[in-house]
Amino acid sequence: MKMKKYVSLFIVVSLIMVMLQAGCTRAPENSEPQPNAPDETSDLDGDGFPEDAVVGVALPWLGTQNWAEADEMFKTQLEAAGFEAIVQHADNKVPTQQQQIESMIQNGAKVIVVGPVDGSQLGSVLEEAAAAGIYIIGYDRLIENTTGIDGVVQFDSIKTGELQGQALLDGLAAKKGEGPYNIELFGGGPADPNAPNFFKGAMSVLQPKIDDGTVVVVSGQNEFTQCATLDWDNSKAQVRMDSLLSGFYSDMEIHGVLCPNDGIARAVITASEQAGQQLPVTSGLDAENETVKWIWEGRQYSTIAKPTDTLVSKTIEIIKSLQAGNGMPEPDTSVNNGKKEVGIYALPPLVVTKENEKEAFANDPGRLELLK
Amino acid sequence: MKYIKKILGGGLRDYTMVIALVVLTIIFNITSGGKMITSSNFQNLISGNAYVLVLAIGMVMVIVIGQIDLSVGSVAGFSGMVMALAVRDLGLPWWLGVLLSLAVGATIGAWQGFWLAKLSIPGFITTLGGMMIFRGGVIWISKSISVPAPVELKVFGAGYLPEWGPTFTGMNNSTLLLGIIAVAFFAFMQLRKYNRSAKLSEKTEELWAVVGRIGLIGVVIGYITWIFGTGRPGTSFPIPGLILVVLVIIYHIITQRTTFGRHIYAVGGNKSAAALSGVNVQRTYFLTMLNMSMLAALAGIMFVGRSTAAGPSDGSGWELDAIASVFIGGAAVSGGVGTVIATMVGGLVMAVLNSGLMLMGVGADRTQVIKGLVLLAAVGFDVFNKQQGRQSIIGRVFPGKRK
Amino acid sequence: MEHPLILQMQGITKLFPGVRALDDVNLEVRRGTILAICGENGAGKSTLMKVLSGVYPHGTYEGKIIYMGNEMVFKDIKESESAGIVIIHQELAMIPELSITENIFLGNEIVKHGLIDWDAERNRTVELLERVGLTVDPNTLIKHLGVGQQQLVEIAKALSKNVKLLILDEPTSALNEDDSANLLDLMHGLKSRDITCIMISHKLNEIAAISDAVTVLRDGRTVETYSVEAGHVDEDRIIRAMVGRSIENRYPAHESNLGEVIFEVSDWRVEDPNNPGRLVCKNSSFFVRAGEIVGFAGLMGAGRTELMRSIFGRNYGIYLGGSIKVRGKEIRVTSVASAIRQGIAYVPEDRKNLGLNLLDSIRKTTVSANLRAILRGRLIDLEREFQVSEEYRRSLNVKTQSVDHSVATLSGGNQQKVVLGKWMFTEPDVLILDEPTRGIDVGAKYEIYRLIHELADQGKAVIIISSELPELLGITDRIYTIFEGNITGEIDSQEAKQEKLMRMMTNTAGSESKAGKDEKAL
Repeated sequence: MKMKKYVSLFIVVSLIMVMLQAGCTRAPENSEPQPNAPDETSDLDGDGFPEDAVVGVALPWLGTQNWAEADEMFKTQLEAAGFEAIVQHADNKVPTQQQQIESMIQNGAKVIVVGPVDGSQLGSVLEEAAAAGIYIIGYDRLIENTTGIDGVVQFDSIKTGELQGQALLDGLAAKKGEGPYNIELFGGGPADPNAPNFFKGAMSVLQPKIDDGTVVVVSGQNEFTQCATLDWDNSKAQVRMDSLLSGFYSDMEIHGVLCPNDGIARAVITASEQAGQQLPVTSGLDAENETVKWIWEGRQYSTIAKPTDTLVSKTIEIIKSLQAGNGMPEPDTSVNNGKKEVGIYALPPLVVTKENEKEAFANDPGRLELLK
Repeated sequence: MKYIKKILGGGLRDYTMVIALVVLTIIFNITSGGKMITSSNFQNLISGNAYVLVLAIGMVMVIVIGQIDLSVGSVAGFSGMVMALAVRDLGLPWWLGVLLSLAVGATIGAWQGFWLAKLSIPGFITTLGGMMIFRGGVIWISKSISVPAPVELKVFGAGYLPEWGPTFTGMNNSTLLLGIIAVAFFAFMQLRKYNRSAKLSEKTEELWAVVGRIGLIGVVIGYITWIFGTGRPGTSFPIPGLILVVLVIIYHIITQRTTFGRHIYAVGGNKSAAALSGVNVQRTYFLTMLNMSMLAALAGIMFVGRSTAAGPSDGSGWELDAIASVFIGGAAVSGGVGTVIATMVGGLVMAVLNSGLMLMGVGADRTQVIKGLVLLAAVGFDVFNKQQGRQSIIGRVFPGKRK
Repeated sequence: MEHPLILQMQGITKLFPGVRALDDVNLEVRRGTILAICGENGAGKSTLMKVLSGVYPHGTYEGKIIYMGNEMVFKDIKESESAGIVIIHQELAMIPELSITENIFLGNEIVKHGLIDWDAERNRTVELLERVGLTVDPNTLIKHLGVGQQQLVEIAKALSKNVKLLILDEPTSALNEDDSANLLDLMHGLKSRDITCIMISHKLNEIAAISDAVTVLRDGRTVETYSVEAGHVDEDRIIRAMVGRSIENRYPAHESNLGEVIFEVSDWRVEDPNNPGRLVCKNSSFFVRAGEIVGFAGLMGAGRTELMRSIFGRNYGIYLGGSIKVRGKEIRVTSVASAIRQGIAYVPEDRKNLGLNLLDSIRKTTVSANLRAILRGRLIDLEREFQVSEEYRRSLNVKTQSVDHSVATLSGGNQQKVVLGKWMFTEPDVLILDEPTRGIDVGAKYEIYRLIHELADQGKAVIIISSELPELLGITDRIYTIFEGNITGEIDSQEAKQEKLMRMMTNTAGSESKAGKDEKAL
């Protein structure tokens, strides 16, 4: 009878609860799996932790190649280093990422690497982690508006932007002859704190050329908020490009487009092809497989490789230093995130065009394979 | 066996979802190696889901009147952003920002209520429009950049009850006090009910059953209190949880004990019959929608407090979590059925699933799949039971909606 | 000249579980004539037509249908339609969002090369509309047509199917006078095109105007059939045949104790919300005394329910004018809630769809129309709720184990008792009961009659709408009759005969003078 099942279920449940309680009352301190908070703050050099400690990695999503690569590399390299890795992605949802970080704290992580969905919306969760004595390392994106952050590993985003701008100018000179050049500007996802920096860096190179008339932004849309691409969503970029082309370029040629990453660059190139334009010179970022091919075929002018493996190995280097009890290494620079000065471990990005493509990927058999 | 039934004071079937919740928690505790039932995880569970549960309170009322509100996520995001902007750019004190945000929520609710009640546009359409309008609105006013929130708000999203008094209790005294109040209140209500029913009719329960029930609930509340009260120093029962508990009590009373509450069920059960019984159907629609958006604004504030910033994509998809909680809690799509307390149980089932799967390291993708299956299973089970001619199980999870 | 027979139905018997809906019914129709079928509600008219049109397929009934000389065995409506028998139901079955053309050819589309041949359909539609005397664009959407025009489109649709025998179920019940006259003309015209019509109708004047023969049904049997002489029917004969039975001793004895007039409605006028210009209540005036039980008799669609619901807080229709007095004071009721507050209660006819929330318990239902009476502060007093519902459960003898059970678990009679209890708890001065015993078995009916008497004895004014004349005669003190939105008469129940009532319910002309006299006598 059904009732019996429920009853027995209930008895089991009550028994387990009583047992749990009994167990807990005996040794309440030990029953807490979470680490006891050390008295010193995590900024100071700690005593290190076991070599098989738990390390959490919270990534925003797996929607672009660099994140998917990071997911894979963190798993294999952390395991290889002997750590117990928990690598999760949040499907680009802030609440999910908050809960994932909490569950990592719960799982007793000693270090949590955070590639934030929104760099400013993890404040209280990260402070909670810091209070539990956990080191927080920002990955690829700055983490703002919180004290719960020990350092950020990223490619220098302003520098990246400058390189993008410069690559665009070089490409225009190489491919489109004498100026003035008609260009358009695209920005990245506004929730990503890197995106405005990319744009800022690029504009620091482009603005003088705009001022002297070498380069013309035909639509006049040259504010970051006008150019931003919500959620780094390629389809939104393509829609914007379509409307720019039909609105401003019906009787004009477009020469170049500043693109903050490869997905957006491909969207822009596709839109231009469909509108019957000559392929514009574009910048890019991430060196995604598809783009590596496109550059080889000459459809996209340039991209910037921020090799995920350098980023991941730098992060793991820091984790190992923490494990050995040496604390956070000396950062390259620091930046104010609204609450504190955060150490930045900046890695140099690398511009890739067809000319240097083979040597750039010399150590990357997967991408080298594409250049055939 | 009979005794247990008497102690619970009803068929065990009424407690299916509660049992499911407890079993799930225990299973996850085992599979995660004891990480589920811990102070910090319970605290996380509450503060990480309070905002969705607040939405679900309003949503169950909307679903009971036979409508649906798709805009709650957008409204929550919008109201939260209005508050953050008002405090940052207009220099309002934080509490004025909160009031402003609630007022914005109420205004939006009045707007949606107007379309539904006065113009008879179905709620699905009205709020689909609202969903787009206010999602666009939040991106627009924020220029799609996150805005930091006033620090005082952190209390609402991630704060804990304060510590005070003697230390020999071994736990957070505020939490202890809360637990004692809860047990005392439950005992008082049970004994009062026992006394009254003894006076009223010949059919009464045995005293031992009542005492047994008080004992059982006392142990359960005591255990929960102990879990929340003995976490890391500085932590205790979360403030968002306290807000939620207060709201649940208020809305339980509103839905079960006021004329407005009765009208909600009447309109959802049979609109024409309600109209012929003197219920102002339009007014009921209007107030329910107004209330929903106001609670959405509150949920938005709580989330911003927890996130320390209001973001342009805050609230996306929340409406679906809230709706799922309501249906797992046994509400009927056609309206007229559903209770606040059962909805909370439904929402907690989702929350425990989420948390447990994360502790086990299951990714967001597979978690989503499992949650979908659980929703289908819970509702399917309920429908199956109804078709068998038995009384709805999940709908009567608790003696909330008194039969 | 004798026309040949087109249809004979012989010995038709149709059983529903526990009910003999048709019992050896015989019917004959001659080609090119109009046959009227009369009978009380529930006499079996619609069932008979469903048998004829194949809604109830061959084999589910006994008897023979001989049509144009052959025995027919229809399996469904399609078969009867292809034989040229088309039925037009009381509720029109057209799709409002489609055009006239689309509706006419729905299910019979003219197809060329796999595509609809719109030109052919449109041309044919124009031709058909001409035949029914309708001059509108065939592309007009049905929802933009008036009810009368829609009726004509239905007939055009029937013509498109090459109809030989057209059945119209109460065709004029929703029409105003002009449209009715127009329709009757058209039917008369169809005769010359060799189309036979069967018309179900209650309206004796219409029957007199156009039909060639009348068949009267009662309790599932054919009572008699006779031919109509041009323009004249023997109304007495029809009515006697329709009513037929005597009032058995099914009603409790009751001595009324009449008091002052406490409820008075004058010059009440209401417009049909779906059909602008059509009045469903035309200057209706009536009154009820304390302790009096007043019946309202009228056929379906006469406007009884509409009248009462419009009085009950304007729950139906568009209010045009009129006043209500309770205990001599004029009251304004603009909402159901205010009607309840001012002592009016209305128990609707459709218990399941209008009277009850089937999800509720007995306990909640009992108090649902008067929650303010059990409030303590702003909260509902659950104890008081229990006491009240328990009290009504006992006094009304509701058969249930507990008031916590759902009303859906109760039988019809017990549900009705709960509904009555719900309205008694509002402590009304005036209690309007719409078909209070429909769908209830005889035993429960008796209990409900007793309850009604008790309510009257408490000094309440009770109004009862019923389609069962014996019931009205058995339990009321006085009866008003309604026909097409007019109150056509008023009779003391003691003196009333069913025949006389039926006459007043079916014809304005014959009773207007009488009604006028009665009004003066007040």
